[in-house]
Amino acid sequence: MRRTLLLTVVIVTALLLQTTVFADVRLLGARPELMFLLTISFAILEGPASGTVTGFAGGMAQDFLLDQPKGITALTLTLLGYTVGLLRQYIVSPSPVLPVLLVAGGTFFGELFYGLVAFLLGQLDVTTLYLFRVAALSAVYNAILTPLVYPVLRRAAEGSRSRKVMRW
Amino acid sequence: MALHNRARSTRLLVVTLVSISLVTITVDYRQGDSGPLASAGNTALALISPLQEVISKVTHPIGNFFSTLVRLPAIRRENSELKDRISALEEQVNTTTADQNRLRQAEALLGLQESIGPKVQTTAAQVISSGVSNFEWTISIDKGSTQGIAVDMPVVAPAGLVGHIVKVSANASVVQLIIDPDSAVAGRLDVTGKTGLLTGAGEQDMRMGLVDTTTDVGPDERVVTAGYRIPGVATSLYPPNVLIGTVSRVVPDSAALEKFITVRPAVDFSTLDLVLVVLSVGTG
Repeated sequence: MRRTLLLTVVIVTALLLQTTVFADVRLLGARPELMFLLTISFAILEGPASGTVTGFAGGMAQDFLLDQPKGITALTLTLLGYTVGLLRQYIVSPSPVLPVLLVAGGTFFGELFYGLVAFLLGQLDVTTLYLFRVAALSAVYNAILTPLVYPVLRRAAEGSRSRKVMRW
Repeated sequence: MALHNRARSTRLLVVTLVSISLVTITVDYRQGDSGPLASAGNTALALISPLQEVISKVTHPIGNFFSTLVRLPAIRRENSELKDRISALEEQVNTTTADQNRLRQAEALLGLQESIGPKVQTTAAQVISSGVSNFEWTISIDKGSTQGIAVDMPVVAPAGLVGHIVKVSANASVVQLIIDPDSAVAGRLDVTGKTGLLTGAGEQDMRMGLVDTTTDVGPDERVVTAGYRIPGVATSLYPPNVLIGTVSRVVPDSAALEKFITVRPAVDFSTLDLVLVVLSVGTG
């Protein structure tokens, strides 16, 4: 119950910030992809199942609330959350730089995947060069935001974790 | 064993959610703008727009401050250019006032005044958010169907053409900007009067196609909306003679069938704040 509430609050906040504050503050014309950042962070913190659910819920919310082609962001983020969650299991030494790298890589490839799907559906009308440029720029932007956002999300996730479940 | 089960249930979760996404994509793709999914989207827009309005009221000045910092050198250059232009224009004003007086007299003589001065009804709207995606160029405004706004209505700013309404909910609407790659506007070159089609290219300058190769085009030439009207067949979305932008580049290519022209929009879309929605274009 607390998880659902947390997820809803975090997703709505991210959407609002993305359409208002970050619409004005751009990096060479590109916006950050807060929903990507959110999905990857939760996948690192909580594992593949949580990453998948966050990605799906966040993607659907973004698609419906913001009048995009519906379902593509949800598909991208579901797969992204699962993949990053799986990758986490192979990581031996947790270093503070790791989330930054995972966020950068995940955003870059996620954005390319989104572009590919949207292109195949005829919903995207930009050049390949532009797609790569945007993917790279939003990856960098997300990486810069990670040290600010990740600790907040970690605290929120730990606070809402139900006490009965054993951690291993 | 427990770990194994967990991994399997996660995999099942992924497959389920991916399938739901794929179904959504398919349904949305087949129904277009008129299905239950589209109306769910409209409802969502109506829910989130008041929140966006509040936040953008608070954060817009902060965002403007930062983007101003980034663009400071460009602004300084613009400032000196503008000062030069002001002095040039001041000279012109004196001469044009005389011309205008003559024109007014001539119009009155011919009884043209009414047919030229169209009764255009507009409503002002506040920009409450920019589009969220890196692949779409839209803005949301704080007026909707209750204020008489409908899909396809043109939107202008003091500087020039902004775009047209693509989505309306009760108290908010979405405007597709003319720099969106899906947008196409019929434009007319100011000097020669030749028309062409302007398509958006995102952050880059707009492309103007379908222009005759023999047309003489120079940089900084103004491009305005063409506003064609073929009775019974088609009427253009936009009213005529609204400034779209200025020609930024002409690629000389005698072999091509059309000229390659890029046009820089007159409106600075990153700092849009108030826009006008044209409710009706009276033809007099």
